Amino acid sequence: MNCAFAQDFRFTTTVSSNTVAVDESFQIQFMLENGVNITGLTLPDLKDFDIVQGPFEQRGQSIMNGRRSEYYAVLFALRPKRAGSFTIPAAQARVNGNLVKSNPVLVEVKKGNSQTQQQMQQQMQQLQQQQQQGTGPYAPRTRGGDEAVDGILRKGENINEKLRKNIFVKVEVDKTNLYEGDQLTATYKLYTRLPTNSSVTKVPAFKGFSAKDIELPNPPQATEETVNGVPFKVFTIRKTLLFPLQSGTLELEPVEVDNQVRLVKIVQNKRNKGGRDPFEDFFNDPAFKDPFFDDIFNRADVEYEDVPYKTQCNPVKITVKPLPAEGRPASFNGAVGKFTMDAVVDKTKLSTDDALTLKVTISGQGNVNLLNAPKVEVPTGFEKYDPKVTDNIEKNSNPLSGSRTFEFVLMPTEAGDHVIPPVEFSYFDPVANTYKTVKSAPFTIAISQGKKVKSEKQDFSVGRNELTGIESGILPWVKKQTWFITSPIFYALLLLPVLAFAGMAFYKRRKDYNTTNAALLKHRYANKVALKRLELAARYLKEGKDKAFYEETSRAVWGYLSHKLKIPFADLSKQLIQEKLAARSINGSNTSELFELIDNCEVALYAPGQDNRRMQGTYEKAVSIISNLEDALKN
Amino acid sequence: MLQFRMIKSLFLAMGLFLIASAAHVSAQEVNPQQRFDDANNLYRQSKFTEAAASYQQLIDAGYSQRELFLNAGNAWYKAGKTGMAVYSYEKALQLSPADPAIKHNLALANQKVTGYTGELPLVFFQQWWLKLQHMHSSNGWAIGAVLFLWLLIAGIIVNFLIPGYRNKYLTGANYLLGVLFMLYLLMSVDTYMIANNHNNGIVLTDTIKVKSAPDDTSKDLFELHEGMKVKILDATKEYCKVELTDGKNGWIICAGIKSL
Repeated sequence: MNCAFAQDFRFTTTVSSNTVAVDESFQIQFMLENGVNITGLTLPDLKDFDIVQGPFEQRGQSIMNGRRSEYYAVLFALRPKRAGSFTIPAAQARVNGNLVKSNPVLVEVKKGNSQTQQQMQQQMQQLQQQQQQGTGPYAPRTRGGDEAVDGILRKGENINEKLRKNIFVKVEVDKTNLYEGDQLTATYKLYTRLPTNSSVTKVPAFKGFSAKDIELPNPPQATEETVNGVPFKVFTIRKTLLFPLQSGTLELEPVEVDNQVRLVKIVQNKRNKGGRDPFEDFFNDPAFKDPFFDDIFNRADVEYEDVPYKTQCNPVKITVKPLPAEGRPASFNGAVGKFTMDAVVDKTKLSTDDALTLKVTISGQGNVNLLNAPKVEVPTGFEKYDPKVTDNIEKNSNPLSGSRTFEFVLMPTEAGDHVIPPVEFSYFDPVANTYKTVKSAPFTIAISQGKKVKSEKQDFSVGRNELTGIESGILPWVKKQTWFITSPIFYALLLLPVLAFAGMAFYKRRKDYNTTNAALLKHRYANKVALKRLELAARYLKEGKDKAFYEETSRAVWGYLSHKLKIPFADLSKQLIQEKLAARSINGSNTSELFELIDNCEVALYAPGQDNRRMQGTYEKAVSIISNLEDALKN
Repeated sequence: MLQFRMIKSLFLAMGLFLIASAAHVSAQEVNPQQRFDDANNLYRQSKFTEAAASYQQLIDAGYSQRELFLNAGNAWYKAGKTGMAVYSYEKALQLSPADPAIKHNLALANQKVTGYTGELPLVFFQQWWLKLQHMHSSNGWAIGAVLFLWLLIAGIIVNFLIPGYRNKYLTGANYLLGVLFMLYLLMSVDTYMIANNHNNGIVLTDTIKVKSAPDDTSKDLFELHEGMKVKILDATKEYCKVELTDGKNGWIICAGIKSL
């Protein structure tokens, strides 16, 4: 539901007529539709208009297209003071915590004619009616309904006198005489009995003090306080913890508050003046002398007036005593209050490469926010850096309490056992009126020689116009760098794997050769045997002696077979050769080609007259057959 | 067996050589650490000129340590010799280019240099390159190159010569190793070249005239002051052609500058 409301939320300013005559009154309505949690409606300044009637407040609901909507409106009847074109600025309201604004409205005011008087009358009546239907009077700037009673300016009352009596600002201090550095609480309060819209226009600077404000609830919460038997609403404007920084008489400057006080003026009713109205008697009847009737029927005769009123409180003088000089410890550093101290080192054993952190925490009540770092005596052999300060101050604590931590970073520069003397912290206790000193235990630190010479943790910032220190330590004393890249070892090492690779590759190649290419080579060898055997035959072939060629070819083949198959030349026969070859599992084309060749040779021997081409073919065949046989027989 | 014995004797010889060379070094020098500490003490006693001279002796003896150059620079700076201070810091910066202490001190020394214009800041990729260069020392790059080559060869052997191991991952790894090898080799050469680059020099004399040509009679162009860093472009026997960071160039007497 709320969501839907938020979506349809509208804040509008409407006027009954944008063009009016000078003496014509018109109606202005500030309408908040579907606003949730409406607070602090601030209406625009209507300085160019006289408020004829109002404000009237209206609340209601409407159902449109099945959707329920709520509205809240403020109405005024206005009459322009002069002719011209006026823009009524936007009204402001806080809805659900957000500041919203309505639209500004332009009103054109013409030179008047009295013709419109009647219209105005009508409007007034209308307004009155609306008002009677509404839930009650709207007093936008009051902070409480009952205050409105005091907001009534009765006839003959002096406004200034009334304001002075009913609104004032007061400063309260818890002490006016204290020691330097001690805490003082100043509270600025606004006392009021009137509905007012106040803003602080001048805040004190607290010269000579260190100030720490306490957060106040927002929106300000009112409390009741009785002054001289009269109840007042009290608003705290500012509450500050003050620490005097110097001795002498210091003044708390006043705070200045601007108030817009809304006063209600009771104006005599015309009818009462005239006394001619027949209703007059009727209403003057004691039965009607009742606040209820008064409220209803005299409402229109009440006028509101916003009165600006500036008020300021009286300055307060504070006497600050200097801290006693006698008994002041050497380690005193301005701390006033009640403190405890805790000092720890993060390690007791480290090397010169490392850093040591000494953490001093001062906690307690007093000027915690003004604490200076306690002096840490660092023995030789350490480099000390400025401490890192972290605060942990309790929010809105009064008296101010919390802790401040100082972290000293110590860089050991020498090996050996070193003792850091105890950390001493002194403060002045204003309650006991004496100085007190707290001490930590001494720290023994064992430092070992680190590996590297420290150079990082130094400050090389631009503004530093100092050289960094010289660096000592044990260095590896080597004469000029030796260049590995120019040494023969480098190249040897580069060459070695390449050679290894080459060796491996060569080895692999030979192995492959043995396994896959051996047959080919063997064949080549066999070919050689055949060629040797057929050497003579080749010569005859060239010379063209066909008979001798065939004879020699035949003899070479037979000789080869006898030699290879280990058969004596005399025993050679086709039959035996076939058996022998079959025994060695050589058959098929090889043997048939062989016998064909032998047959060819025999035929050629007995039937000469072959041409040279045939002889060439026979020769080649013989070579191939012997080669093949050589291959086959070798395996 | 023969091979084994050979390798053994080789190692023995190498070891002996190393020991001998180490012994040689220690025998020759009168404890440089002692001299360094003495110089540091002199510096602490504010005897800057003496300290600077001591440091310089060590430098001249051939030692090159970051700390030595830094301390020498400090000593020269405090002794008022801006030129030598700048020279020492530049030397230190060559050894350790990202060192803030050296940079800081060099900047201080350069403040004393009349006419110092400042060096152009490096473009981001130049900075990356510089950072990459100093990821390893020159020797480190060289060792890396050797290492990656060995790995690469091993990978190739496994991939191509041993049957059954060939796969695409191994091939990819081999490519990667190849690239790394090339990078390391390139870097080792580059760092070596840079370290042995003597193209820059520092002006050591108080004021030096820059001439338009390498002879005494030529016109004076402008003046250089002590501590100015110049780029040496060319040199004759007596004169060196130098260029400044802002592009001005001319000839000056070589004796007035010390090359880095």
